[in-house]
Amino acid sequence: MWSVIVLLTGPVVAGLLSLVIHRARVLHVVNFLTMLALAVAETALTRQVLAEGSVTTLGALVYVDALSDFILVIITAIGLSCSLYMWSYMDDQVARGVIAPKRLGLFFFLFHMFLFAMVAATMANSLGVQWVALEGTTLATTFLIAFFRKRESLEAGWKYLILCSVGIALALFGVVLTYYSSVRVLGDASSALNMTALIGVANQLDPNVLKLAFIFILVGYGTKVGLVPMHTWLPDAYSEAPAPIAAMLAGVLETVAVYTVLRSKAIVDQALPPEFTGNLLLTFGLLSFVVAALFILLQHNYKRLFAYSSIEHMGLAMIGFGVGGLVGTFGGLFHLLNHALAKALAFFVAGNIHRRFDTLEIDGVRGLARSQPITAMAILVAGCALVGLPPFSPFVSELLVVSAIAAQDFASDTMHVGRFVTMTISDEMRSLGIVTLFLFFGVVLFGGFMYRIGAMVWGTPPAGIAQGEPWTVGHVPVIAMIVALLGLGFVLPEPIRTLLTRAVNVVLVR
Amino acid sequence: MPVSTYLGSQLVDLCSVLLLLCCFAIVAQRRLSACVDLFALQSAFLAATAALVAFLTGHRHIYFAAALTIVIKVIVLPRILRKVIERLNVSRELGMNVNIPAGLLICGVLVIVAFFITQPIIPLGYLLTRDSLAIALAIILIGFFTMIARQKAITQMVGFLVMENGVFLGATAAAYGMPLIVELGVFFDVLVAGLIVGIYTHRLQDAFDSVDTSTLTVLKE
Repeated sequence: MWSVIVLLTGPVVAGLLSLVIHRARVLHVVNFLTMLALAVAETALTRQVLAEGSVTTLGALVYVDALSDFILVIITAIGLSCSLYMWSYMDDQVARGVIAPKRLGLFFFLFHMFLFAMVAATMANSLGVQWVALEGTTLATTFLIAFFRKRESLEAGWKYLILCSVGIALALFGVVLTYYSSVRVLGDASSALNMTALIGVANQLDPNVLKLAFIFILVGYGTKVGLVPMHTWLPDAYSEAPAPIAAMLAGVLETVAVYTVLRSKAIVDQALPPEFTGNLLLTFGLLSFVVAALFILLQHNYKRLFAYSSIEHMGLAMIGFGVGGLVGTFGGLFHLLNHALAKALAFFVAGNIHRRFDTLEIDGVRGLARSQPITAMAILVAGCALVGLPPFSPFVSELLVVSAIAAQDFASDTMHVGRFVTMTISDEMRSLGIVTLFLFFGVVLFGGFMYRIGAMVWGTPPAGIAQGEPWTVGHVPVIAMIVALLGLGFVLPEPIRTLLTRAVNVVLVR
Repeated sequence: MPVSTYLGSQLVDLCSVLLLLCCFAIVAQRRLSACVDLFALQSAFLAATAALVAFLTGHRHIYFAAALTIVIKVIVLPRILRKVIERLNVSRELGMNVNIPAGLLICGVLVIVAFFITQPIIPLGYLLTRDSLAIALAIILIGFFTMIARQKAITQMVGFLVMENGVFLGATAAAYGMPLIVELGVFFDVLVAGLIVGIYTHRLQDAFDSVDTSTLTVLKE
């Protein structure tokens, strides 16, 4: 109970405080302490969820089960490391004159509103409140993306606002349709959008309405996830946003958007055969994976490179959920965590490079190993993790997703996407055809990604670039994430494994 | 079917069709201030529809939603948008991605598509508001199309608000309104979105000397 209240009120209080505090140091301390409080509250909440299964509180407005708790773990973990990174990043930007000192308070206000909206979207019991909170994330982040007030960042912020608002308006129609079907069964108007009520009666809902509802919801929330072809805002926004904000957008906001899709999937799967949602997710997932892999080959801007890698990884997670089953869903969920860690690390590193080299062009960055040794090591780790090399943890989750695809019987009539992709291959090979496709583009991606990163790390730095890298507080989260990526590659700690297994059961409604 | 229900259903249909007509008028209108006025008119029809449904069904909370619609969508948001237009140096939309006759034809097709998509689910609805669901979807699609077809930041925002009106009509028609907390949240979001667009147009004007989104071409592959 208290943990839920801390998680919800913490960001609001900190956000309002940020507006009245003017000293940078105090702002950072407030920010860090808030994130620490959230992390402590989240740990307590996790214990409670593990002990009791699920927590419903505040007049059934808040519902936290293993799935939402797992997402909250990601939000608080990345949020905490971001608060440390921002300490050195924002101070540096103020010192360089990029941001006026008095705008720092506004930055933290928007950041905490963003955080609050994400926590609320994850904890909301009602699908309607979830929508309101997710639209709230769009409104809070658009000015964070445009925070540097350059022409490019204004353009990126505007595109983000318009595209995501349109997407999310479509999702609202999906929510209305869900309500349309459920209010007839439940009768009680006030609780008919609550997940706790919906999941019990989901098999009595009208399948035709739910089909239409899920398509609208997937396209709408898929825009926020950044699935192809609704992804066009994403590379612009990620490349123009300040580095810690890009880390939050890529690591956390995408995860929350995937979570909202999973919630609808769990309900729709009760009324329809799971192949319906599975096929849709698999189609969007494969398309995102393939298109992103091709676009990565064309990139000359390292932040855009990481942005396309986000699209690719979300595609991969969607493939996992689309194939479904225990292995696929587990792989997909675990991949959300691994991607959040690796991508936050990548954007932290990108922020370090940008501040040193003053360019986003890959060609302008040379000899990172000599000028910034820690950053160079971190970008190598992030790169290896993002292309799925062992011993880092994304390798494990990608392997799970690939084995789930290989085990899937695509020859059956229900998996249309699999049939389509593997039409030309002989019957015996059919179930492996989609794996071949997947692995081929995995290799394309590996080449494109490592080639670019290698070009940045080795060589001689351009003249006039300072050498050496003094330790700052911003290096703490970088090291912590490297350790986490390595550690999760070898062992999955007991509480996380239990949480993940239960979250899989929530998605599959078992 | 009793006469009163029949009459009520006809009235609701009439109001919904007026909303749809406003959409067509917005698509056919080049003057920015007229677009905003038409949006205000459409919102007024929406409030009338909601009030009518509330009266016919006795669901009190829909009156509340209708009142909020009048305050936010008929008065506050159009006022913000008009202020923005006054401050800018443009009153007409000159370049369009799709010209007006073609745009109107496309909108006609979108209406047919909307009726086609909702065909299987309409018989499930309440008798009173059955056909409004198809009209709601048509309004959403036309709003979506407006956002693609127009280049000015203001008209894109009007397109978004039209979509929102469509969703709201859908909620009223399909399920006699959403739970109160959701409706409040949606209104809050729409209001904040309107304010944010106001600020954005200001900054875009400063940075690009224009609110034409076709000038936003710095970022591309």
